[in-house]
Amino acid sequence: MTDQRMHDSVSPGRRGSRRLTGKRLVAGMLAAVFGLGAIAAIAAETQVFDPKTREWVSYDRKKALKYYARNNQVPEAFRRQIVPFRTAEKPGTIIIDGNMHYLYLVQPGHKAIRYGIGVGREGFGWAGIVRVGRTAEWPTWTPPAEMVARDPSARPWANGMPGGPDNPLGARALYLYEGDRDTIYRIHGTPEPWTIGLDVSSGCIRMNNDDIVDLHSRIDVGAKVIVLMQGAALYKGV
Amino acid sequence: MNAMNSLRLPAAAAIALSAAAFLGGCVSDPEPDQMARTNLKTAPADLQLLCANAAATSTGVEDTKVLPLRSRQLDSGTYQVDLDAGGTMMSCIIDGEGNVQSVQPS
Repeated sequence: MTDQRMHDSVSPGRRGSRRLTGKRLVAGMLAAVFGLGAIAAIAAETQVFDPKTREWVSYDRKKALKYYARNNQVPEAFRRQIVPFRTAEKPGTIIIDGNMHYLYLVQPGHKAIRYGIGVGREGFGWAGIVRVGRTAEWPTWTPPAEMVARDPSARPWANGMPGGPDNPLGARALYLYEGDRDTIYRIHGTPEPWTIGLDVSSGCIRMNNDDIVDLHSRIDVGAKVIVLMQGAALYKGV
Repeated sequence: MNAMNSLRLPAAAAIALSAAAFLGGCVSDPEPDQMARTNLKTAPADLQLLCANAAATSTGVEDTKVLPLRSRQLDSGTYQVDLDAGGTMMSCIIDGEGNVQSVQPS
């Protein structure tokens, strides 16, 4: 089985847990490894409009979980929809606005399909111009060695967790390449749909399973992917 | 006099309520595609990319080497987008309609 090793914060059996300990240290180590200067990650506060109270309210993990439990879907802004999109990029191009938690798939006629996404948490955001190198349906997930070392719940899956509804990669994965090199970042589904609209991952772009299946059905391998992320720690492909 | 005051207070309250209702009615809900925002107030993604396209054209740098790095709203209808164009930092001003007003080295 092809190695599906990738970065993500989710580990089986510990979904929803928040790893705050040492995250700044890890971000700093990443910066050192990649030879970057000070990480200028900017923690953006996301707000969503509540049609019932007609007020803008902060949107964080706690509220996201509560909203999803109550409505069985994410807030309107993060649901799939057609939006105007003025661009010179050709149809089929994927544009990711990490700050706003949107992924756009460019369509003809200055339109785009917009999907809600979850992105890298503080220190794990990145930006760049890459491409879809390959795709997979119900991909196997293999935790990185450091996750296996620190997280007992990841150990059973050291050699790979088969695809399925509990797999952190969800229903589909688009593997992002820089030239011919795997970036280790992916656009993938998730068993945690309530995390859409949040900064939660270790750099992967997550979508709810219905949306990643829809996106997967519409794109071609080789599609250009532009990732916009203000204050990103890493730049790929530029 | 007391009777007059007792009449004026409910009338004032009614006027205030009417005004509030009127004003409330004037403030429309955002469209479904505008129901999220962040405190960063970055430029919409399509405007950032229009700036990148303009920067690629003006510098002759391949468009796959031009990336918007940061953006901000200057006023209600204008944004500034800072870009890396193949290693050269560029600054672009664009309006909300997608018209690039300027693009120059920063």
